[in-house]
Formats: sequence, structure tokens, C-alpha cells
Amino acid sequence: MTRTRAALVAIAAVAATALAACTGTGGGGAAPTDAAGAPQIDELKAGVFLDVTSWDPANADIGFDGPYLSAVYDPLVSLDKDGKPVPGLATSWEWSADRLTLSLKLRTDAQFEDGQKFDSAAAVANIDHLKKGVRSGQAYLNVASAEAKGPDAVDLKLSKRDDALLYQMGLGRSWMASPAAIQANSLVNAPVGSGPYTYDKALSAPQSQYVFNKKDKHWDSATFPFPKVTLFPITDQTAAFNGMLSGQLNMQFANAANLPKAKENNWNVASKAASWVGVQFADRTGGQVKALGDQKVRQAISYAFDSAGILSAVAAGSGTVTNQVFSVDAQVYDKSMNDKYKTDMAKAKALLKEAGYADGFSVKMPMSPIFAAWQPVATQTFTELGIKVEWVDMAMPDYQKNAPTYPMFLAVIALAGNDMATLTDQVTTAQWYNPNPAVDAFPEVKALVEQVEKAEPGDAQTALLKQLNTKLVDLAWWSPWYQADNTYFSVQGIKVTPMTGMMFPTLRFIQRG
Amino acid sequence: MLSFITKRLLSGILLLVVVMTGTFFLAHLVIGDPSYGLLGASATEAQRAALGAKIGIDRPLTTQFVDWVSHAITGDFGVSWRSFTPIGDQLAQRVPITLSVVFFATLLSAILGVAVGIACGLRPGSVLDRVLKSASVILFALPGFWMALVLVTWFGVQLKWFPTFGYVSPEISVGKWLVSITLPSVSLAIGAIVMIAEQLRNSVIQVNNQDFVRTLRARGLPRGRVTRHVLRNASPAALTILALMFVGLIGGAVVVETIFNLNGIGTWTQSAAQIGDIPALLGLTAISIVFVVVINFLLDLVLGWVNPKVRER
Repeated sequence: MTRTRAALVAIAAVAATALAACTGTGGGGAAPTDAAGAPQIDELKAGVFLDVTSWDPANADIGFDGPYLSAVYDPLVSLDKDGKPVPGLATSWEWSADRLTLSLKLRTDAQFEDGQKFDSAAAVANIDHLKKGVRSGQAYLNVASAEAKGPDAVDLKLSKRDDALLYQMGLGRSWMASPAAIQANSLVNAPVGSGPYTYDKALSAPQSQYVFNKKDKHWDSATFPFPKVTLFPITDQTAAFNGMLSGQLNMQFANAANLPKAKENNWNVASKAASWVGVQFADRTGGQVKALGDQKVRQAISYAFDSAGILSAVAAGSGTVTNQVFSVDAQVYDKSMNDKYKTDMAKAKALLKEAGYADGFSVKMPMSPIFAAWQPVATQTFTELGIKVEWVDMAMPDYQKNAPTYPMFLAVIALAGNDMATLTDQVTTAQWYNPNPAVDAFPEVKALVEQVEKAEPGDAQTALLKQLNTKLVDLAWWSPWYQADNTYFSVQGIKVTPMTGMMFPTLRFIQRG
Repeated sequence: MLSFITKRLLSGILLLVVVMTGTFFLAHLVIGDPSYGLLGASATEAQRAALGAKIGIDRPLTTQFVDWVSHAITGDFGVSWRSFTPIGDQLAQRVPITLSVVFFATLLSAILGVAVGIACGLRPGSVLDRVLKSASVILFALPGFWMALVLVTWFGVQLKWFPTFGYVSPEISVGKWLVSITLPSVSLAIGAIVMIAEQLRNSVIQVNNQDFVRTLRARGLPRGRVTRHVLRNASPAALTILALMFVGLIGGAVVVETIFNLNGIGTWTQSAAQIGDIPALLGLTAISIVFVVVINFLLDLVLGWVNPKVRER
């Protein structure tokens, strides 16, 4: 998933030592008040951390592109605050009995900036485009085709049941662009959508600031309260924080280390789990390093790390110590399992000895500057356990390319806000960070996965997923240390609802309040 | 004078050719396959291959080099591999930002550095001279980024006199443009002011102690005229430092651009290197070398005009 890179960058930035801004109070930009005395903010000025990857939804990244794209595009499907699919340009949908056909009913009152009407033909053109997309294609892996069924209906035919499809579409994989612009390949230069805002090209400076003005008429106008939105890509978190203090920004992707200052300034603070941090086993079958094929060895590694200490030292305590990769807010997440691998070096050594590796073993692991914050503790822990690690240095793009070729590596991996998406992303589907899912090599896991995939969505499926989660934790499928939160600061008058799965929430989750 | 100019131009062109050739092959050697940086990790091999064909990296390196050179000599640096927009357009957007800050910083350095340097050089041991000495030690010891943070915290956050980040084009508002580049320029200039002042001070003291100055004084020339002679002889060293500072400030701008979130060539270099956008890196290198060559050429011209002996070298 491309969100992972965004997660890596975000976590690395948050983990970096914060340069304390020694300031007084009073920043944040005082806003005029309404009759009730609440701040009435007419312009959202948000520091977004990363620039928009592409105005073409097929090449866009879910990570930090959400606010930009949600200003100018309408989605077929949106998500509510709990990650449940809700109507967008698709007003309703229905699954066939075999869950291999998704029938969508479409609105007919939306119009693209170039004057084209949105209809089923436009939806089909977009889905075909998204299916071929380098970044978006992954959401449509199981979609064989899209067919128009009259002017206001579309059927998606699936080659394989996919219970995470609607979630992925809502997450940011169903932005509808003008078919003419898709055809002309002009979306690389500027967006052509039907969204709630118009992109003000004259006042915008790419890579510096993007200005959007609210349309007078839009079918979902009530969801977007701010007449004007200005988005600033600001990678340097100190610059963004100073922007908040000076009033140039009224919302930012924040560093949790600045939490005391945020409280001092009476800002709203919103946080939510965004990614898991720890050791990923790419070779859990022991093909490269025999030791890693042994459950006891993987468990030993899980026991060895002082996860709470790492969370406190590297991430300013902004997260939850857990050995699970289902989000802490997920129904499947089981808090009672978090003590399973409570730090115990003696037990770790004993397990290693039981597995026949009393003297440890040697392993090569990749290293990139982005993981430098975790390298010392990893080196120290592995050494104490008796595992001799030889770090191989590389640049970040090379890390994503090469890490899967190593038996294990340090990872910061984006979480999903949907349990079935977690199963797909973290367990069953080959990803850069999970090159060899190896589900077939673990019969119990395979059986549970098959049951989950066949189960009726709802309580039955969740119950099975819980069993699977327990099994995966027991097998030490991965060795997470903690789930890291993303944090957002906003001034009084702006309320942010963070979303697991989005590094930065789309505009519908930034409201007055 | 003509042969002097010709020699300088030829050496500049040679420098450009050598550096660009080295940069081209080094960039391709270090970056290797840029598709991971450009497409993300989830792209398929077929998509990577398609990108490779689109940007031409499936061809032999020498073919790519010849192709790049044949376009570059006409001023066409190709398109960015990330955005597929012309490098020339990107440079046109970003170079003014960096140059605004660097020119303003150089101007500040020149005015303040020369004034303080002359004042201290003409009165060595005075209070001002002792203050300069202490300040130079302190300001050299303090990292530039720390100074920038202090300035932004004090003047941006506390007093709100200047924006804490961002750049306003002079086309939109000259006043806002000046306000937006003040803090970044001052951050860059502080170290340079001290360096120029120190250099000029030492030169003035050195020239002041030469025989010809004593002779001028002995002949009863007014102090002003003597000082003019002193400054004319002391200026080459300060000019050299000023030119070197300008080039150095372009390199140092990356830190200031990051702190003030300015999208100049410094931050672009960083992001281009991170994602492996080789055409962007080459365009940036070319423009940087041109700056260096032009600045040095102008410096040589001025020095040659000030001191004719320089032209014979």
C-alpha cells in the first residue's frame, strides 16, 4: 500500500527530536465569534505535511492526498467516522447473494468543472481508470469489470469476493474525475472534478499553497462548512508548529511532543492510531534464516523488546503498546492480549535456547535513515538476545525495494480502519512489506482465513477474525512494539475527526466545532 | 582584457561540462531504479517497466547522456520524472525564491559587513572592534538553523512582525514579498556579515601599515583621500569573500528554506534526491554551476578592473 510510505515519513518526522519553540501563549489566530460566542472560522488553513502526489486519483496516494483531492473531487463512496461506507455519488448499493456483484445506484445532479455531467458512463470510465492506476489499482484487484446499467446505475463484477472493497473505495479510491480529462491525460496538471470546492489556480502556488473556494451550489454543500480552504504542504514540523503559534495556520498535522504547548494555547487535539511499528518477519517459514521459521524464536524476539520504552523515547508516548496489527479501535482488537509478550529478556533467552539457538544466530537487516531513531534500541536488544545483526544501509526508496528480500526488517506500516482490509493488507495479500504471506504454510491460519472469507459479514465474521487475530499473535506472525498515533492540532472553532487508514483526514472530517 | 574575458569564459564552460558529466553518471549510478521512488512500492513490474520506457531509462546510459546533452545545450532540461512538467518551468518557479533570499542576504551582508569592517579596520582596538571580535566568535559558534529558529520564534511567533513560513511573489505584492524574505535573509546573512567585516577589517589594517600609506600621510594628504587609497587596496579580499559568500549562501539556503517552508531550489534538490528525479537534479546542478561560473566571472572582472595586475594571471 502506498499509505505505508506516507506512514513511514510521518512517523519518522514525529519521532524526530522536536526543536522546542519557546513561546508564550496567544497564538493560533483569534477568530471572530458568532452570536453564541463560538469562534466563527471562515477559512481553513491547514498544514498538511506532504504535498499532493498527483491530481490524478489513479496516481494519488491515500496517505496525505486526502484533503487536496476531497476538495475538488466527489467520491462514489465515503466513510463515516467509524470507517463504515456511506453514500457519495453512489446513493445506495447492494451486494448479490454470492457477493460477486456490487450494484451501485448513482446521483445524477453532479457536474464536472468542464461541464460534463456525472452519470454511469463517467463512473465506468473512472473505475476502469482507477483499476489500471499504479496506486489505485490495488483497491480494485478483485474487480473484473464495471458495467453501466442505465444512466444512473453501475454494476461492479468481482472475480473474487472482496469484503473490503467498499471501505477501500471510501478511503480514497473512488474519486470521480472528468472522463474527458482522463482521456486527455490532463489530470497531471490540474484537477477536473465535481467536488465541493473550486481550485483557485491563480492564488495557488504548487508545492507551497493550494487555495480552494467553496462552490455556491453542490449536492453535499452542508458537509463542508468553510467558504475557503488553503492547504499548505509543510514537511518541517517546527515550521508548521510555528505557523500555528503565529496564526498563519489554524490546523496542522502535529508532533505529539508539542502537546503541552497545544494545551497551553487551548487548541483542540485529536489523535488516532495510524500505523504499527516493530519488526516484520518476511521469512516466517524459515526459508532464508531457519531460525525465523520457529515460532519460539519469533516469540523470543517479541519478548525481548521494551515496547513501552521505545514508544516513550521515540514517539513521545503517542500510541498504544500492543502486539496486534488490528487497529486499537477495531472490533477485532483484544486488549487482554497486550500482556502476552510483556518485556522479559530472561524468557526471551530461554525460548531461544529451547528452540536450539542458545548462542543466537546471525542475520542481515536493511537500514534506512528514516529508521535511524529505532536502530540503537534494535541493535541493543538483538545483541542482548544473542542475535548478531549486520545492518545494510540504503536510501528509503531502496528500502521499500530491498527490505522484502531480507528475512526480517524494521517496519512502520499503515493500519486499516476496517478489519477485512487489515486481513487483506497485513496477512493474505503480497505487499512490499509482506512479500511472502505464507498463509498456506500454516494450516490453522489458512483454515481460519478461509472461514473468515466465507463468513457472513457482521458478528459471525468478527468472531472468526478474533480467533484469527489470537492465532496470529500466538504465532508471533509479526513483532509489533506499538501502534503509533497521528495527532492533529486545531484552534478553537475547528474540530478534526482523525481516521485510521488516512494519514490526514479528508475535508469532510474537518468541521466547525 | 578581451583575452582575460575569453580565458575566464572557457574555464567556466569547461567546469560546467566536467561537473555535469560527472553528475549525470553519478546520479544514475547512485539512484539506479527510480521507479520505487516515483511509483511507490505497490507498483507491478509491468508498471515499472512502462515507466522506464516512458522516461527512457531502458536505453543505454551513453544514449541517455547524449540525448540529455543535445537537449540541455538548447536550454531544454527535459521534464520532471515525478510531475512530468518541464524542468525549466520548475526552475522558473523556484530559482526566484532562492535568489530573492540569497540576494537580499548578500546585500545585507555587503552593506553591514563593509560598514562594520571599515569602521573596525580604521580604528583597531576600539570598542566597536572589540565587540566585532566577540560577536564573530559567538556567531560562528552558533549553528545557522538555531539562529533561524530564534528569529522566527521572536519576530514571527512572539511579535508577529513577519510570517513564520511561506513566500509571496513580488508580482503579487512587493511589500509582502519583502516581508516574506526578511527573516530567511537575515538568518542567512548573520554569519556572512561577521565574515565580511572580519576580512575587511584585517585587510584595512594590513594596507594601513604599508609604506605607501605612510608616504601619503607624510605628504599631508587629507585623511579622506588616504582612506580612499586604503579601501581601494583592501577591497579585493572583501569582494572575493562576498562572491564566495553568495555561492555559499545558495548552498546554505536549503536549511533556511526548510525552516521557513520556502519552495526554493534547496528543498527541491532534497525532494528530487529522495525520489530519484534525475532530470530535476541535473537541471538544478546545471543552474547552480551557471551561478558559480557567472559570479566568479563577474568577480574576476571587478577585481581586474580594481587591480590590473590580476588580468595578467
